[in-house]
Amino acid sequence: MRGTKASVLLAMAVLMMPIAGRAADDKDVIEYRQHVMKTLNEQSAELGLILSTAVPGDNVVSHIDALALAASISLKAFVPKVQGGEAKPDVWANWPDFQKRMKEFAAKTAEMSKVAHEQGPDQALGLVIPALSCKSCHDVYRSEKK
Amino acid sequence: MIQRSRNSTAARLTMTFAGAALAAVTILPGKALADDQDVIDYRQHAMKTMGEQVAAMAMMAENKVPGDNFAVHAQILADVAAMAKSAFTPKVVGGKAKAEVWANWDDFAKRLDALAASTADLAKTAQQGGVAAAAPKMQAALTCKGCHDTYRDDKK
Repeated sequence: MRGTKASVLLAMAVLMMPIAGRAADDKDVIEYRQHVMKTLNEQSAELGLILSTAVPGDNVVSHIDALALAASISLKAFVPKVQGGEAKPDVWANWPDFQKRMKEFAAKTAEMSKVAHEQGPDQALGLVIPALSCKSCHDVYRSEKK
Repeated sequence: MIQRSRNSTAARLTMTFAGAALAAVTILPGKALADDQDVIDYRQHAMKTMGEQVAAMAMMAENKVPGDNFAVHAQILADVAAMAKSAFTPKVVGGKAKAEVWANWDDFAKRLDALAASTADLAKTAQQGGVAAAAPKMQAALTCKGCHDTYRDDKK
């Protein structure tokens, strides 16, 4: 009887281990992609302040570079299918569409960075609004209530 | 073509009220306050961007998430560190920045220059050797706390 109880406890412990491990990993995955998305948000806000002439535009190229770099890795941050945070399950349910949007976003910001370096900041600033299609994607794939 | 409307609006206002000292006195302080908040917002976005990169890089150094993009985060950090000092150049006390930033500007500027140099070096190391080469250098490169202890008021 004692042996059976011990076996049950052992089996339960073994069963619980992967769950505990996975829960911790899931939280890390969510935290990491939130760091990436917040980076995009902070840099978009910098460009918004510059576009509205609220602050001088001396650092336009650096902001665009930072934005393009973060955009280039954002899709990968969502590859692990871990629901939670502000990401709706639709991210993974409609993965081909989500992926297409993220790739387009990365391509547009990369182009903006190229223009900034080759033609100058003013030309690149003209591409900011068409490149930042954040809201259309957030409306579908982000739940801001969480 | 980007319309930088605020400057032209300000110019028109100045012309309109050129002869009216009272009107100018009424309008200008309001505008200065709005500008101050913009300056604070701008530098806070820069500082938060650095915070996000450090957090992401730390997760990679601790093997919590794959380290493939460590060099990208290190580059973003270096890009923003390089311009951080210019974000604090306007002497606008507020946000979490203590008045000491501008009272001790030479020291503050020296520390931000050092951060720009150390993060540029870290980005270069990450580019060449990935997270394995760069992670051991993180602690020495990121002297955030030393500066925050002196110049940042976390209570605000």
